[in-house]
Amino acid sequence: MKILTKAAAAVLAAGLMAIPATPVHATGRAAAPTPAPSQGTLTFTIGIQSDVDSTNPFTGIVAEAYEAYQLMYDYLMQSSAKDMTPSPALAESWQESADKKSWTYKIRSGVKWSDGQPLTAADAAYTFNRIIKGDYEQTNYGNYVVNIERAEAPDPTTLVLYVKKPTPIMEHLAIPILPEHIWKGIDAKAVKSYANEPTDGKPVVGSGPFVLVERKKQQYLRFVANKNYWGGAPHFDQLVFRVFTNADAEAEALRRGEIDYAYDLKSAVYDSLKNTPGITARASVYTGFNEVAFNTGAALADGTPIGDGHPALKDKQVRQAISMSIDRDTLVKRVLNGNGSAGDSFIPPIYKALHYVPTGDKQGYDPAKANQLLDAAGWVKGSDGIRAKDGKKLSLRLFTRDASKDSQASGEFVKGWLKDVGIDVKVKLMSEDALTEVIGQGNFDMFEWGWVVEPDPDYQLSTFTCGKRSYKDGGSIYADLSDSFYCNPAYDQLYDQQAGETDPAKRAALVQQMQKLVYDDAPYAVTYFYDDLVAYRSDRWTGFVAQPDPDGSILFQYGIYSYLTIKPVAKETTAASASESGGGGGGAPVVIGAVVGVVVVGAVGLVLARRRRTASADERE
Amino acid sequence: MNRITRARRRTALVRFWRDLRGHRTAVAGMTILGVFVLVALLAPILADPIGLDVTKSTAAGHMGPSWSYPLGTDENGRSILTLLIYGTRISLLVGVTATLIAIALGTVVGIAAGFYGGWVRSMLMGVTDWFLVIPFLPLAIVLATVLERSLFNIILVIGITSWPGTARLICAQTLSVRARPYMERARALGASDWHQMTRHVLPNVMPLVLANLVLTVSIAILSETTLSFLGLGDPTRPSWGYILENAFGAGAMSNGEWWYVMPPGICVVLVVLAFTMVGRALEATLNPRLKEGAA
Repeated sequence: MKILTKAAAAVLAAGLMAIPATPVHATGRAAAPTPAPSQGTLTFTIGIQSDVDSTNPFTGIVAEAYEAYQLMYDYLMQSSAKDMTPSPALAESWQESADKKSWTYKIRSGVKWSDGQPLTAADAAYTFNRIIKGDYEQTNYGNYVVNIERAEAPDPTTLVLYVKKPTPIMEHLAIPILPEHIWKGIDAKAVKSYANEPTDGKPVVGSGPFVLVERKKQQYLRFVANKNYWGGAPHFDQLVFRVFTNADAEAEALRRGEIDYAYDLKSAVYDSLKNTPGITARASVYTGFNEVAFNTGAALADGTPIGDGHPALKDKQVRQAISMSIDRDTLVKRVLNGNGSAGDSFIPPIYKALHYVPTGDKQGYDPAKANQLLDAAGWVKGSDGIRAKDGKKLSLRLFTRDASKDSQASGEFVKGWLKDVGIDVKVKLMSEDALTEVIGQGNFDMFEWGWVVEPDPDYQLSTFTCGKRSYKDGGSIYADLSDSFYCNPAYDQLYDQQAGETDPAKRAALVQQMQKLVYDDAPYAVTYFYDDLVAYRSDRWTGFVAQPDPDGSILFQYGIYSYLTIKPVAKETTAASASESGGGGGGAPVVIGAVVGVVVVGAVGLVLARRRRTASADERE
Repeated sequence: MNRITRARRRTALVRFWRDLRGHRTAVAGMTILGVFVLVALLAPILADPIGLDVTKSTAAGHMGPSWSYPLGTDENGRSILTLLIYGTRISLLVGVTATLIAIALGTVVGIAAGFYGGWVRSMLMGVTDWFLVIPFLPLAIVLATVLERSLFNIILVIGITSWPGTARLICAQTLSVRARPYMERARALGASDWHQMTRHVLPNVMPLVLANLVLTVSIAILSETTLSFLGLGDPTRPSWGYILENAFGAGAMSNGEWWYVMPPGICVVLVVLAFTMVGRALEATLNPRLKEGAA
């Protein structure tokens, strides 16, 4: 979730399948069996498209997995629903010591694990120490503990974390606190393959608002509400994550009322749900952005040049010109169907305090200015309309991702716009695995991808530092976080400064300054901020909490607010509108389905007839 | 080539043409094909290629049919009719080129296997059988995934997955040709293997090759559509399968936009049908045994 966009993570998860990165088109309903509803149990069912890859919090990477961890375990803090600033969770309060060498967290008392054992600061200390000393355990949470030396629990309600140097990340420790009495039995080797799934009918021991009681891979996860949850009992008894193969099937299930909430919808499907009675479709402001990234001069962290990037892109003017040739409003309108906003700097505007809004230096859509910049950079238009300099053509490769329809569409648009300013673009589609590889080696000119930015900006900021460029180990080159190979000493200096700044306002100013640098140097042309598209049965459920208020996501947040507040609407209306929406609609899709079916049957018939014919001709010989 | 042969060939051709015209299905098939070939050739006249550029479209997306957009618009506001016209080009190009590859491969393998016999035949036919038993779609999908997504590769994939049927057919025919007395005579006169294969075997299996060629085109076009629909085609060149894939991705099925889904589907059916009709008629005309059976 931190490193990968939803789609990327999904592809990684799908990597287990025989043919990776092959889009699977399947119309109609997914025949995934759901757990049988028990009498009198109130169930809230969420449709997801990427199965939780692992319920072991050290292993899973998809957004759906992180959501499951939030439900199963407690965290020291969460991001507030109002504006995503740190707010108390398992830790009621925290304090940085006067000498800035340690942080003390006051752990809630009286909290119990689902097996009845008490949850104390010792469990929290155990979890932190395990990650700090661990190897595999660092994969998902390593960036939170880089600066933490050790964790101690002097008494059951006090957790002390000793730090190497002051760091603001101590207020954003998104680490699930695990039960020591269970996990101490799973050693460093066993944890790699530990499933953390219910066995022999025994649920997974946790402390969150829900307890995982059943899991069927690629089908569903079933949770039971923790009625003793310290934050208040959820207003329903059971929570189900049901896995669908595509958004169409998921939307259909929502229409039929088989699920209550559809997550991760595509804009086309989302639009088709907009005017359905009983269903509310919601485009929430989200923490992700997409960009066209440039190879600004691929090199290893030590400065050794690598890769085969086009030399023109080392020139900031050329990159700015490309950025100005992209009509972002049209991208939002066409590619996102209007469900998003035009991009500028790389911390999304959802983080109001941190987002840098370009003003005088804005690289708006301006082909005339782009042409000027390119002329000034020495790239002159030839007779074929393509610019060239010293006999080298301005012909760039643009890699888009075959798993994403939006990525492909963006590529088409960018190609068209760049042609207008005299840049020849060769679009090539790649699987996300292959693209990651190619980026790490620096063998690209431009690519289209995106990031999901966490409430704490440190991780995202680090992707533009010199030290995060690729590295060499043995004979091979490995990718680190940097994918544009941007390297600016002034930026690195600011990065170190913000990493030690614990005053939120001062830090925000630094973060904005860093974004301004990057915006001007344009290693990325941020194309758009996309919305989180979901739909839910508003005829049955109410009480969702948006994060941030009022336009943010209502589930799959940095926190579990809605799960504690959603409740069923009054019984009578439920029955009435359910029967109403269950009936009509769906005529046109059926007709089209039938036509397509006939076409397919006809085609198969032809092939079969042809086969038989061949066979008979064969026999006659 | 002397005058007598030339005259004989001309009469044969005239007779063939007359026979073929006698098949009503052949005429219908050729008419349909003619229309599609014309559309493919005249594409730039029928529709401005600028209509394919997403950045130049001004219309709203997802529009239904209207006078200015007879088949409506796609999600990016491009005219679906324009896409369809240019799609004809790509679909026909892929179909025909892939078939040429498949037929060339199949004919070479078939003739070599049939002519040499023995272990050569066992080996070549072994390979052919191996290709024949592998289900086509998974093999094509794997190949298309491993290779880059480009027009050339999609042609290659279809070409190398659809030759085994032809190879078997040609091999069988070659076996029967090889046993004929004049082949023995040619051998006795010292004709080389190459001479025998090109001068005696090839002309004799040619009718079969021709009929098979036309029939394979329809399968190749269908394969192209399938692979493109599965997202394995060249995304920068619109074929009919590409339009269908886009329609699916844009939610045309959920939204009931029939004008987006049906035209490419109908085009595929028509062309495949036309090729099949012509192919069958060719087969019946060229293969004397089938002709007798029909009479």
